Amino acid sequence: MDLTALGTALAIGLGAIGPGIGIGILGSKAMEAIGRNPEAAGEIRTNMILGMAFAEAIAIYALVVALIIKFV
Amino acid sequence: MLKKLFKPRNLAIMLVAVGMIVVSSMTPFLKVPKPVVSLAAEPVLHIGGFTISNALLTAWIVMVVLIIMAWAATRRMPKDLERASNQELVPSGFQNLMEMVIEALYNISKSIGGSWTPKFFPIAATIFLFVLLSNWLGLLPGFGSIGILEPPHYASQQGYEAVGAILTGTPAEAAEHEGATTDDAAHGAATGEEAHKFPGYIVVPFFRAPSTDLNFTLALGLISIALVQYFGVKALGFGYFKKFFDVSGFKKGAFDGVVGIFVGVLELISEFARILSFGFRLFGNIFAGEVLLGVMAFLIPYFVSLPFYGLELFVGFIQAAVFMMLTLVFFATATVGHGSEEHH
Repeated sequence: MDLTALGTALAIGLGAIGPGIGIGILGSKAMEAIGRNPEAAGEIRTNMILGMAFAEAIAIYALVVALIIKFV
Repeated sequence: MLKKLFKPRNLAIMLVAVGMIVVSSMTPFLKVPKPVVSLAAEPVLHIGGFTISNALLTAWIVMVVLIIMAWAATRRMPKDLERASNQELVPSGFQNLMEMVIEALYNISKSIGGSWTPKFFPIAATIFLFVLLSNWLGLLPGFGSIGILEPPHYASQQGYEAVGAILTGTPAEAAEHEGATTDDAAHGAATGEEAHKFPGYIVVPFFRAPSTDLNFTLALGLISIALVQYFGVKALGFGYFKKFFDVSGFKKGAFDGVVGIFVGVLELISEFARILSFGFRLFGNIFAGEVLLGVMAFLIPYFVSLPFYGLELFVGFIQAAVFMMLTLVFFATATVGHGSEEHH
């Protein structure tokens, strides 16, 4: 039985849970911060995007593993 | 607004686009093959015993473009800055744009690097521009679609029929070649025939965004982390390596000493983990982006992939910025040393 497809789906599916929660928290906290201090919106947005890029990187690791399972 | 949209030039572009869509959907000859996703960069040239992959070729193109950009941006700069008149010092055109970019990068470097900025800035800015151009170059048309026709490299790849130099969307029939392969196997497989084991052709592209090659991103990560060690030694002398082999805890007792050594081992591991995370973050983001664009273009053709191009432009910029920022932060932390422990 070939379980490659299942492995690929599990790798990216499970790997996306954590970063998804992380990006959600980042976004909600950033919105809260902008609501409290609208003048700092620009700086908060920059830092939020940077933080999101780091959280997203974890999902990307899972994606790389999934791609390796699929294509190699 | 609407009047601007319907200028004769724009109307002509729209007509051509609609015409191309209609023609391409009606003519079976213009049906394109499904994109081949190749995780590794493929070799396209051989010079002596040295194999040049498509990603390496494109990395060289990026370098040439950067050199030309640097030349064009500094071309009109006065040779002698001290004696130049104000009129000559005012930048214009391309030089103005590049000065704006460099100034923005310098301000970011300064906010992180502090007094070390003159040392950090050239490396950080080079990494940013190099990575940015490598990310964006892969979005150009022709990347991944123009190349050499080769037989599929392994059995799971689907080959397509080729008409002249153009690959059509017709999958190559495996049946007619079936007999040949079994014959070869029976006669002990001639090595010359080995390459034609699988029917049809695939395109091995001439160009491929360098960031979609793991070798490129890992090399950049290695350079970055090696320079972190260099700046650490430069700022703190060989005391910098105390971070990794910390035996000072033994003065306070055996337990503190063991904890210190353990922390040092963790530091050492995290240093290597940084190389990997540098490499995989950039590679994964850009490679996944190209796969996404390919999938979107074939899922719903023509217009749906346009917003994703915008997304990929954004991701390419963000990843270049992240690479630069992380490098700067690691540089800065290496030069500061572990001051907290010295205050105890």
